[in-house]
Amino acid sequence: MTGNTTLSTGAVSIGIDIGGTFTDVVCVTAAETHILKLPTTRDDPGRAVMAALDLLREHYAIAPASITSFVHGTTIATNAVLERKGARVGLVTTKGFRDILEIGRQIRRQMYDLNLRPETPGWLAPGARRVEVTERIDADGNVLEPLDAASLAAAIATLAAEKVEAVAVALLFSFLAPEHEHQVRAALEAALPGVPVSISSEVDPVFREYERTVVTAFDAYVKPVVARYLSNLDSNLAKAGVAAPLQIMQSRGGLAGGEIARQRPVRLFLSGPAAGAIGGRTAGRDAGLDNLITIDVGGTSSDIALIDQGRVLVKSETEIAGYQVRVPMLDVTTLGAGGGSLAWIDGGGGLRVGPQSAGADPGPACYGRGGREPTVTDASIVLGLLDPAYFAGGTMTLDPALAWQAIEERVARPLGLSVEAAALGIHRIANAHMADGIRLVSINRGYDPREFVLVPLGGAGGLHAVPLALELNINRVLVPRYPGVLAAAGLLAAPIEHEVSGAFLTAIADAKIADLTDALAALDRRADTLMQAERIQGLRRERLTLADVGYMGQSHYIEVPIDLAASDALGNLYRAFESAHQRLNGHKTNAPAKIVNLRVVHRAHRPPVSVGAKPSEGQGLSLKGRRSVLFPGETVRIDAALHDRALIADGERLVGPAIIEQTDSTTLLPSGWSAEVTGGAALLISRSPS
Amino acid sequence: MTGPTPTHRNETAGDRFDPITLEVIRHRLDKIAEEMQATLLKSSCSPIVKEGLDASASLFTLDGTTLAQACAIAIHLGTLIPAVAAIIAKFPVDQMREGDIYILNDPYCGGTHLPDFAIVMPIFAGAGQNARPIALAATMTHHQDVGGKTAGSVPTDSTEIYQEGIRIPPVVWARAGVFDETLTAVLRLNVRIPDIFIGDLHAQVAACKIAAVRLGEAAEKFGHNALLASFSVLLDRAEAMTRAALQKLPAGTYRAVDFLDNDGIDIDRRIRIEVAVTIKDGMIHFDLTGSSPQVKGPINCVPSGSLAAACFAVRAITDPAIPNNGGCFRPITLTLPEGTIVNPRAPAPVNARTATIKRVTNTMLKALAGVAPDRVPAPNSGELLVMAWGGQRRDGRMFVTGELLAGGAGAGNGFDGVDAIETDATNCMNLPVEAMELDAPIRVRRWELVAGSGGDGQFLGGRGQLKEYEVLEDVAGTMSYSHRGERHFVAADGLAGGKPGGLARSWITRADGREEEIPSKIVTRLGPGDRVVITTAGGGGYGSPESRDADAVRRDIADGKVLPAIVDRASTSNSGS
Repeated sequence: MTGNTTLSTGAVSIGIDIGGTFTDVVCVTAAETHILKLPTTRDDPGRAVMAALDLLREHYAIAPASITSFVHGTTIATNAVLERKGARVGLVTTKGFRDILEIGRQIRRQMYDLNLRPETPGWLAPGARRVEVTERIDADGNVLEPLDAASLAAAIATLAAEKVEAVAVALLFSFLAPEHEHQVRAALEAALPGVPVSISSEVDPVFREYERTVVTAFDAYVKPVVARYLSNLDSNLAKAGVAAPLQIMQSRGGLAGGEIARQRPVRLFLSGPAAGAIGGRTAGRDAGLDNLITIDVGGTSSDIALIDQGRVLVKSETEIAGYQVRVPMLDVTTLGAGGGSLAWIDGGGGLRVGPQSAGADPGPACYGRGGREPTVTDASIVLGLLDPAYFAGGTMTLDPALAWQAIEERVARPLGLSVEAAALGIHRIANAHMADGIRLVSINRGYDPREFVLVPLGGAGGLHAVPLALELNINRVLVPRYPGVLAAAGLLAAPIEHEVSGAFLTAIADAKIADLTDALAALDRRADTLMQAERIQGLRRERLTLADVGYMGQSHYIEVPIDLAASDALGNLYRAFESAHQRLNGHKTNAPAKIVNLRVVHRAHRPPVSVGAKPSEGQGLSLKGRRSVLFPGETVRIDAALHDRALIADGERLVGPAIIEQTDSTTLLPSGWSAEVTGGAALLISRSPS
Repeated sequence: MTGPTPTHRNETAGDRFDPITLEVIRHRLDKIAEEMQATLLKSSCSPIVKEGLDASASLFTLDGTTLAQACAIAIHLGTLIPAVAAIIAKFPVDQMREGDIYILNDPYCGGTHLPDFAIVMPIFAGAGQNARPIALAATMTHHQDVGGKTAGSVPTDSTEIYQEGIRIPPVVWARAGVFDETLTAVLRLNVRIPDIFIGDLHAQVAACKIAAVRLGEAAEKFGHNALLASFSVLLDRAEAMTRAALQKLPAGTYRAVDFLDNDGIDIDRRIRIEVAVTIKDGMIHFDLTGSSPQVKGPINCVPSGSLAAACFAVRAITDPAIPNNGGCFRPITLTLPEGTIVNPRAPAPVNARTATIKRVTNTMLKALAGVAPDRVPAPNSGELLVMAWGGQRRDGRMFVTGELLAGGAGAGNGFDGVDAIETDATNCMNLPVEAMELDAPIRVRRWELVAGSGGDGQFLGGRGQLKEYEVLEDVAGTMSYSHRGERHFVAADGLAGGKPGGLARSWITRADGREEEIPSKIVTRLGPGDRVVITTAGGGGYGSPESRDADAVRRDIADGKVLPAIVDRASTSNSGS
C-alpha cells in the first residue's frame, strides 16, 4: 500500500459488503481499483465501515467528499434474528386465527430426528402478544364482518400493556381488501406513537395466511434494529463528509436508498449472496459470457447460483435463520461443503468430509487457534496449494505443521495412507460433494451444467474451480479480477430496483386485458412512488411486468413475463408459462392455467463501474517463483510456477501446471488447462487444445 | 416374515479398497438416487407426487439389496425391497436384458397398496457382448387413480382389495426396450385418468433411465469390477456401523402396546398393535405377535409397511451419520404373524394403511424409549386426520377439496413437544384457510391450538389443533364429507412420569343446532349452514408435572398454552360465529 499526497477529486464509487467474518471493500476511481478486507465488527458493524473510509483516505488519498456512490450490503437484519436481538413484536390477527404464526404448515424438515424442534418462528410473537380483532373479509374481497372498534381497542390495550416495540398486522384476505389493516394501523399509530407497524397487505400482499404472517412478523421484528443502524451509519457518513446517498443491497439483487430500505427491512436479508451472484453476472457480461454457474466457496459452506442468459434466477421463498420465509431473493443454493469442512473417519472406517465444519473459531488446524481436526483448508496447505504466509488478504498466516499433524493423526494414520495421499483424498471428496451439488442445482432447474461457464468466488473458489470443471465436464472457468471480494464488487454493478406485487386470482381464459392493465397500472404507481423517493435523475430506466402463473388446481406457480402491449398477450402468457413448466418440470399438460399474482419491477441502471486494474506493463513479468505442489488429480509433487495475478498482461497465455496468486485469492491451473486475461480483466481458463 | 438375512462379509475386499474412491462412489450413488427422485418428482403430473412427495427412488444390487435410496417421506423407507425381491424371484437377473422394464402393484406380492406402482429396470454396463447387468434401478409412485370403487382409489369403506383398483402381479412391461402394448391397453382401460396414469409410469421409467446413464458413467470412470466390489464393501460397512450402534444399546426385550381407534366399519372395536423389540448381539428383532387379527376395513397393512416402520425406528435410534443403504437393514428382522392387521391374508383391503404404519412406528419407538432415552421422546399423537369434501356449487361447478391435519409431538428430556406437526412416517402440509376458501364453498371460522391438549409434564407435549369449517349457501343440495381420524379413544402416553396427550375429538353441528359426534371415522353429507369442528390429539408429556419450572408455568398461562381449569371443549361449538 503506497500513500498518495494529494487527495483524489474524481468520481469515486465504494461498495462495502459485510459478511460474518470479513468486511470487504471495493473502491473504484477513474484511474484504479482498491480492495480492502477488514475484520467484521460484530457488536457494531458500522465501525468497520468507518474504519474502511479512514484507510481509504490514509492509504489511497480518497477524499470522502469525492465519493459519488456509496453502496452497502449488510447482514444487520440476519444477525438480529440469529442473535434474537430484534424488537418485542405484537401480532394482530383476525378473530379465531391467533395461532397461525405458530401452527404454520405442519411439515418438518428433519425426517429422522425424533426430537423435533419448532419449524415456525412462534417466538417472534408468543401467545401473550398475539391479539385478535373481530372482522372478516371473504374470498372475493367483500367485507363479511366490519372491523369491530371495541375489539380493536381491547387489542391495542393488551399490546400497550405488553410494551411491544413493533407490531405486525396480518388479517385474512387482506391482500384482496387492505382497508381493515389500514384502519388497524391508523389506530395503532395513534395509540402507540413511535411503535412501527408492518401490515401484511403492504409487506407481502399474496394469498396463504401463514406465509404472509411470517414475513410480516419478521419485517416488524427487524424494523427498529435496521432503522437504528442505517440512521447511525447515515449520520456517521455525513459527519465524515460523505455526501453520496447511502444505498443498500436487497436480497432480490437490486439497490434501495437507505430511507426506503428501512421501510421494508425484510427485503434486506441475505444481501451478501445476492451481491455475489450479481458480481459473477457482471464479470461474465464484461467477458462476453452469459451462461454462468457461480460457486462461492466459504468457510462452512458454498453458495451456488445459476445465471441463464445474463439473468440470475429469482426464487420467491428463502430461508432465514432456519425458517422458510416468503421474501423474493436471488436463487442461491447453499451446500454444506467449504474450506472449513471437517475430514473424519466414520464407524465403518470410511473417510468423510463435512457436513460439520470447524467454522471461523477455532477454524482449521492450521489457523493455530486450537482446532485439532483437519479441514479442507489444511489439506490445501499440505498439498502446497496455498501460501501459508499470506492468507485471507494477508490478514492471517497459517501454520503448515499443524495442518500436517492434524491430517496425519486423524486421517492418514488410521487409514494407512501417507499424509499427502490423505490430503489429496480430502480434496477429492470435497470436490465430489461440490460437483454433485452443482449438478443437482442445475438439473433441478432444468439446465445441463456442461453448457455453462464456472465462475469461482470467494478466497477459496479458485482452488476448486478446475477440479470441479473436470468433474462436471465444463470446459471453461472464468475467474473475476477480484474473486475474494466479488460481493462488494457486485454492489457497484447492481441497479436501483423496486418490486411491487399484488394478488390477481383469475383463470387466464377469464382474464380481461382492461383489468390486467388497471391492476398493473396500480402496481406501477406504487413502484413509481418508491422510485421517486430515490431522487435519481438521468439514469436508464427499465420496467418489467411479470405474472405468477400455475395450472388450475396446482398450488405452485412460476413467474413469467407478461406484455399487455403485444397482440394475443394472454396467449403469449400461457405459452411462456407452458415452456417454463416444460423446462422446470419436464412436461406440460395443455390444461387451463390461472394467474395468481402480478408484479412490476422498476429498475434504474447506474453507469457501469469498471472494477478493473491497471493492465500489466508487459508480458512475461508475472512469474514470481516456484513452489512444490501436489495438484489434485496428480500423484507426484512438481515445482509449480507461481504467478502474480496483477502482473499478467493482456493477451498473455499461461499454461498449467501453475498457481496464480493475488491478495484476495489463489487459483489452480492444473496441467491440461491454460489461462488468459479476457474482458473485464477476468481470467478465462480453458482446456488446452490437445 | 423374516427380514433380509446378513450375508457373509468380505473382509479382504474392504481392506484393500481405496477409502477415498469408496467415499466418492458412496456419495455418487446417493446423488444418483437423488437425481432419480428429482426426475421422478419433476416429470410426474399427479399433485400427490408433486406436492405430497409420495414417491421414491432406489438403486439395488443384483441380489436385491438397497444400494442408495431417496425418499422425501419415511413411509417409503425400504418400501421397494419387497418389490425388487418379488421381481427377481420371478425373473432371474441373469436372464434380464438391457431395456427390460418390470412392473407390479400387488400388495400381496411385493407391493404396498394399489396406488403404489413399482417399476424396476436392470442397469447394464459395457457394450455389445460384454454388456452385463451391474445393478437394478427401482422407483415407486403413488398414482392419483388406479381404478376401483371411488375416484382416487382409497375407498374408506372397502372390504376387499377388488374394490380398491387394478391389481398387477410382477410382470414384464417392456422387453429389451419394446413395451407390451397389450398390458398398456389393459392398464389404460382400468383407471379413470389413463393419460396421467401412463404419463406418471413413464416418469418412473425416465427416473430409472437416468440412473442407468449415471451408473454407466460411474462404471466407465471407476471400472465395472471396482464399482461392483465397492458395492459390497459399502453395504458391509453400513451393516457393521449399524451393528456397532445396536451393540451399544442394552440387550433385552422391550415391549409396548398401543391402539388404533377402529377400522371405520366396526366402530367400537379398538385395534391392538403390540410390539416386542429384542436387541441382542448387534441384531434387532421386531415381533408384532399379539397385534389384532386383520380387520374388515381398509387399514390392514402388508409387511412392507412394518418394514418401513422398523427401518425408520432403527435409523432414528442409531447414528444418523451411518450411510443409508441396505447394509443398515441387514441386522433387522421382523415377525409379522399371518392373518393379523400387520400381515393380512388376501383379499383383505389395505388402501388406508398409513394410519397403521404410523401407529406401528410409534409403538416400536415407544418400546425403545427406555433404550435410547436421549433419542426417543414421549409418544407423538401419531395422528394424521384425513378429510375430504366434494359436491356441486349452485352454478353447477363441481368442487373437491381435502385436508390432512397433524396433532402434537411428544415432549422429550429438555424440550416441550412441538404443536401441530407431522411426525414419523408421513410429512404432509395442511391447507391454508385462504387456499381452501378460494377453491371451495367452505368457510373456516376458527383455527387455533387447543389449550391444555399437550400432555402435562416437566416438559409439555405438543398441542393439537382445532379447526372449524362452515358449509356455505353456495352448495347445491348437500356435499359429501369423509373424516378418517385417530386418537379419538386412546391417547398418546406420557414418558418418565409425563401425562398422556389430549384426545382428538370432532363433531358436526347441523344448521338446525343438532350435534353429532364423529366416532373417529365417518362418511356423511353436509348441507349449507352445517359446521364441522375437528380437534387433533396432543403429544405425550415428559417428566412429572410438579417439576416444571415455575417461570415456564407462568409463561404457559400467559401464552394460553394451558388453562388453569379443565376446558369444556363442547362449549366451543357454539362460539366463533
